[in-house]
Amino acid sequence: MLTYPRRTVLTGFGVISPIGTGPAAFWDALLAGTPGVHTISHFDPSALPSRMAGEVRGFSARSLIDKSYRRNLNAMARTIELGVVGCQLAMQDAGLGKGSVPPERIGIEFSSVMGATDLDDLGPAAVKSIKPDGSGPDMAVWGAEGLDLVPPLWMLKYLPNMPACHATIIYDIRGPSNTQIPGDTSGGVALAEALRIIRRGAADVMIVGSSEAKVHPLSLSRFNLFAEFSRRNDDPEGAIRPFDRERDGTAPGEGATVFILESLEHARGRHATIYGEVLAVASGVDRGLRGSGLARVIRSALAQAGITPADVDHVNAHGLGTTPGDAFEARGIAEVFGNSVPVFAPLSRFGNQGAGSTLMELAASVLALRHGRLPGTLNHSKPDPACPVAVHTGEPRPVGKPYAVKLSYTDLGQCCAIVIRQWTD
Amino acid sequence: MRRRVVITGMGVLTPLGHTVSELFTSQVEGRTAVGPITRFDARTFPTTFASEVKGFDLAQHIPDAGRFHNCGLNTQFALVAARYALHDAGLLDPARGDRTRMGVYLGSGEGSDEFPVLVRGLALASRKDGSGKVDPGEFVRHELRLMNGPREGEQEMYTPAGHLGNEYVLEGPNQACQTACAASSQAIGEALEIIRCGEADVMLAGGSHSMIHPLGVSGFNRLTALSQRNDSPRTASRPFDATRDGFVIGEGAGLIVLEELEHAKKRGATIYAELTGYGTTADAYRMTDPHPEGRGAIRAMADALADAGLKPSDIGYINAHGTSTQANDSTETAAIKAVFGEYAYKVPISSSKSMLGHLIAAAGVVELVISVMALRKGVIPPTINYQYPDPACDLDYVPNTAREVRFRHVLSNSFGFGGQNIALIASRYTGG
Repeated sequence: MLTYPRRTVLTGFGVISPIGTGPAAFWDALLAGTPGVHTISHFDPSALPSRMAGEVRGFSARSLIDKSYRRNLNAMARTIELGVVGCQLAMQDAGLGKGSVPPERIGIEFSSVMGATDLDDLGPAAVKSIKPDGSGPDMAVWGAEGLDLVPPLWMLKYLPNMPACHATIIYDIRGPSNTQIPGDTSGGVALAEALRIIRRGAADVMIVGSSEAKVHPLSLSRFNLFAEFSRRNDDPEGAIRPFDRERDGTAPGEGATVFILESLEHARGRHATIYGEVLAVASGVDRGLRGSGLARVIRSALAQAGITPADVDHVNAHGLGTTPGDAFEARGIAEVFGNSVPVFAPLSRFGNQGAGSTLMELAASVLALRHGRLPGTLNHSKPDPACPVAVHTGEPRPVGKPYAVKLSYTDLGQCCAIVIRQWTD
Repeated sequence: MRRRVVITGMGVLTPLGHTVSELFTSQVEGRTAVGPITRFDARTFPTTFASEVKGFDLAQHIPDAGRFHNCGLNTQFALVAARYALHDAGLLDPARGDRTRMGVYLGSGEGSDEFPVLVRGLALASRKDGSGKVDPGEFVRHELRLMNGPREGEQEMYTPAGHLGNEYVLEGPNQACQTACAASSQAIGEALEIIRCGEADVMLAGGSHSMIHPLGVSGFNRLTALSQRNDSPRTASRPFDATRDGFVIGEGAGLIVLEELEHAKKRGATIYAELTGYGTTADAYRMTDPHPEGRGAIRAMADALADAGLKPSDIGYINAHGTSTQANDSTETAAIKAVFGEYAYKVPISSSKSMLGHLIAAAGVVELVISVMALRKGVIPPTINYQYPDPACDLDYVPNTAREVRFRHVLSNSFGFGGQNIALIASRYTGG
């Protein structure tokens, strides 16, 4: 039923991550097993129950952003800065600049969220309008005096579609532009939509990217109250333990991951370097996190790609390190693959990137297929009977088959599965 | 042969009614929903009015509504509109059809911060040295004590689409987008493509949003995007009128059931219209202002026409984005002229927002529902509050009074911050 004439390949890759910036540094860190989760340094985390995160340290948008665009930094929260710079890195890596593709033939699919407000943007207004007894804002004062203390462009600093907006302006991109928001699966559905757009001929080149920056006092206050975060504060590098019996939660991360997706004929026409081929993306809902719904989504992606479980070199799991989450994901994987396929979970190295998670995790498999070596999963030492999968740990193993499957999900059961293929000329 | 897609169910929750028929009747009669903000005390804000959903009580619409009490209004509105759309389509019963072939695509807004809790934390953690800075470590200490964790968990942006999939047993593709004021139209357009390419047979698509909270109104007021006609809220939304001074913020939800034509015919579904055209482009110009010549809007409309295989003169009615901002309405007018030529002066154009206000992420879907009803009933709702002609807006905006016209194809525009442009075309379904 699915008839897709156009093949689509990855021709550019930009990454800003807790373990390195740029494809080479990122890959070297993956091979070396460099941990990226540490005690939070962006602010004093001592009040938080979980005080670890995968931080991007020393990131300066001012020094990296396109000079002609620097004046707009006052309208960019960190999530947006990371996303925009990530797009620049990917475009440079692909050998593309403004005008190298006709504006109508290039588009963007970005995965993001509404950013958390910078505290200093609203602090003065809060002080001005707090009631004398401290019980809350006096709305009459907020409206009359506080509001004027809020930066005029405040709202634009945080809108989810702004990374895509800025990228379209910097590169004169006038094709389809969309911003996906379904949490940890949103990078996957962004890729799904970019595939559909290229396959239906609405564009030849798509930026597919994601960014999130929730190592932020407001975000982490919130997440610590509802998410399962690890309390292993005395061992941050070992905190996230995918599918391990002693796992006790995940930790947040921040960064940006951006790919250039391109129709094969367009990539060949300009002699682009090809990282890999994207064959299929499927999404769906597993009601009640039973595992059978995730298995159905995986089978759907395999069927779209025209392959069987036996063709798959490894499954790249979300591997959050949460108690029910990992068990759910393992059930889904086991239902399709048994326990024969190596499972690789890169998230324990750089934290849960939220809206940025799928693509940063996918990047690890793209590079593994490209280099023919699959790095080991960090912090998995004690198998859990509730997670009946074979986690690949330790030294890198040779890639033996050309396909990898990438998974992601949310705690409401939204699932996504991606199938990629090793590129051989 | 491309798979054809039809609309077989529609549900809304809007400031002008909680049912499609109530909404459309209000639109035809030229009623406005705009009034003073009641959600919070906005009396000293630059803008004191909005278009609110009135009398909303989730328990009147959803069984066992307590399950969703921590959810934001965006999720609650979506649950209600989705239920009515699926009921309308005869697909509410999860035993109907293959639910793994039915998905969700929501153009949804974000949740919101709990304003008093945020302000208290900020005030308590502000340094006392006159620097105007907030101590982040202190802020965390206070917020952990003040915040309601389960409520915060439900403000995450993935939750509305996730809840729809779970509650209504829609186990197929699940996507959600946020492209500002174009979001729900974009969700519908891309859901159309998901069905066309065979990844699903049924998609529940649309949007939901509420920004009528202190930070939402503050943010738009700082951008000077909202009308400040506080002495006359009911006439504040005046698209294409020379004295327009900004949009009126609204809220609500709309969901429609998109279905592959053969699938719909096989089960004897009522077909409201066929979704025939979709165009999506970026302006690549500025963060908020549209491109002065409307280049993105022009190509979105032209692409939608090409997608539907229609020529401009086939369009019998344009449901405009028509926000009542100076920039949008003149640019949209110019773009319509560029696409439609001389016919631009003949085709009736109206703005639902003159009565509804601007439902932000939910605007496009609700306006498409109104467009489909106009197509079926042969009645075009007016643009109300139209008094003073603007030389830059010199087309037929169906001023102030509804008009009876039979037509076969309607085009609905949605544009958004960030240079987002979407055009959708719905056509009368004539069998075959």
